[in-house]
Amino acid sequence: EKWAATHPKYPPTSLALQHFDATYSVQLGKMWPSVRVALLSERKYGALLNNFSHDAVLADLQEKGCRDFINDADTEAQPCLEQVSEEESGDVPVKKSDSDGQQLSPPQLSPNIPQLSPNIKCVVFPRGDITRFKPARPDTYRLLGYYLLDAASVLPCLALNVQEGHNVLDLCAAPGGKTLALLQTQAIRFLCVNDTSVSRTLRLRKVLQSYVPKEFLTDENIRITSFDGTRWGDIERNSFDRALVDVPCTTDRHSLMEDDNNIFSKTRTGERRRLPQVQLALLLAGIEATCPGGEIMYSTCTLSQIQNLSVVEQAIHLAREKHGIHLEVVDLQPFTHMFRKTFHFAPDLHLGGNNSSRVKVSCIFCGH
Amino acid sequence: SLVDMGFTDTQAEQIYEAVCKVRGGSTAKHALSTLAALFVLGLSPSSVLKLLQKCPQLYTVKESQLQQRIENLRKLGLVESLQRVVAYYPQILTVPMKTVKTVVVFLREKCLFTVQQVTDILRDSPAIVLEDLGQLEYKFQPQYVYFRMGVKQAEMVKSRLFRFTLEDVRCRHCFLERRGLYQTPDKKGQTTIANPILDSILSANQDTFLTAVAKASPEEYEVFQRLIAREWQGQEYGIIEADSD
Ligand SMILES: C[S@@+](CC[C@H](N)C(=O)[O-])C[C@H]1O[C@@H](n2cnc3c(N)ncnc32)[C@H](O)[C@@H]1O
Repeated sequence: EKWAATHPKYPPTSLALQHFDATYSVQLGKMWPSVRVALLSERKYGALLNNFSHDAVLADLQEKGCRDFINDADTEAQPCLEQVSEEESGDVPVKKSDSDGQQLSPPQLSPNIPQLSPNIKCVVFPRGDITRFKPARPDTYRLLGYYLLDAASVLPCLALNVQEGHNVLDLCAAPGGKTLALLQTQAIRFLCVNDTSVSRTLRLRKVLQSYVPKEFLTDENIRITSFDGTRWGDIERNSFDRALVDVPCTTDRHSLMEDDNNIFSKTRTGERRRLPQVQLALLLAGIEATCPGGEIMYSTCTLSQIQNLSVVEQAIHLAREKHGIHLEVVDLQPFTHMFRKTFHFAPDLHLGGNNSSRVKVSCIFCGH
Repeated sequence: SLVDMGFTDTQAEQIYEAVCKVRGGSTAKHALSTLAALFVLGLSPSSVLKLLQKCPQLYTVKESQLQQRIENLRKLGLVESLQRVVAYYPQILTVPMKTVKTVVVFLREKCLFTVQQVTDILRDSPAIVLEDLGQLEYKFQPQYVYFRMGVKQAEMVKSRLFRFTLEDVRCRHCFLERRGLYQTPDKKGQTTIANPILDSILSANQDTFLTAVAKASPEEYEVFQRLIAREWQGQEYGIIEADSD
């Protein structure tokens, strides 16, 4: 038929769809059709507000009907807290303890509920409202008022639980959406920003310049590099209070929508197969770079268990076996509970083996 | 007189008023011949009155034209069903024969419907003759269903495709497709999943469609409809463009 003839036989997007159909229909069961239609339709953006901008952007957007979903979060304790035993209490996904396994949880935090930075603000149009944001405009100092991203991208930054005076590592940072969110906390003493891709790092620099005043981008505040993140453990060990490991992945939505630069194209099969290895190496590097008592956040934008749960499991195992680092996995359920008005979260994931705690990896997809 | 034709006094009055309202010098003369022609079809006075209220333009159609149009529809296979079609959709008699012919040729030659299928389409969806073929709507509908959904002509006729707008068809189909519940058949007509039949997609009301076929919530479908409408606004009917001539 002509219809078939007008399309290449197996474009990467349809290979991606086949792959996801096979794996996610098993993994997500009845939820898969709804996730599928959401992935194949236009995404819902959030506007990360730029506190460095001088315009009254928040009020402006609120007038248009947006709301700050972080400020609006449901901070009441959730009803099923009793399921969480003492040992499992924690605040973010992975917490690094001393080698003897002693826990160093900050006493000021209520168990299981991370403190949300009051400075990170992200507005969305209400559920069911499909209005699009206009591109942000520069203020008198040429700083842009907001950064558009998938609203779920802000969640790992919130869950990282950055506190005043922290040294923070953003290991795979380009193009910089999460870096910007972290900078909004205005609590970081030193931020280390890295991405192996030189061109993407350049883009990240441009992003930072359009959002952050020069005086916050000095060598005393920030360092931008283009190293291979998997080697970070060799460079800087035990140095950071917090590490964000936002790894390259199958970028499910992108892979379904764009044939260009698609990880499912035949020529990139090897690269795609190696992803879990690279992810594991990056997470281990992040773990090594973090000091005892520190916290590491592993995030992806895929629903794949192999790239999420399995990577975290293996990293925990290898960190203990090879480096003597004991990690505590943090139950994110109370955290996700706060945002259930805005997001649909993946079903409970259970870490197997002898680790009794539960983890909710931040593979968070945005429903409608 | 009207009463002799079988109308009651009140009905005759109503007709008289209606004829006066329709402009045109020779209306009165045509009115009588129209009434006669409708009676010949076997319609009762009360249904004649009803359909004329629905479509007062009929009063102005010339007798010879009316006869020709009726004859033409008969030739197209609307014999027993003609009375019902006219009662249900009297506008069909206001359409010039040439227009009806163009539609029929289009259905036969471009969409490959059989003679019998064309008759069935005219019977079930007579409004199709009023559509401007220059408009994309009906031009693309059978092509969309044929090429994108892999549905054959017979099934299109059975599910009364032309009663639904292309928008409706596309929207439900795309929703199912994106949920992974519908696949375009490959060259051999094969799919890896069993597609729901066209009739179950189109004929059900929205609630039934959602619970029985799409297995989705109304909220999800509602948002999807708005998203896809915006998606389509930015596009041509690109998918089937290649087949349009
Ligand atoms: C998901 S993206 C990061 C998105 C970014 N955190 C943001 O919020 O805008 C993953 C990034 O990892 C980078 N990357 C891939 N391999 C890497 C490696 N070995 N070391 C460091 N970065 C790497 C890619 O260049 C890509 O920019």
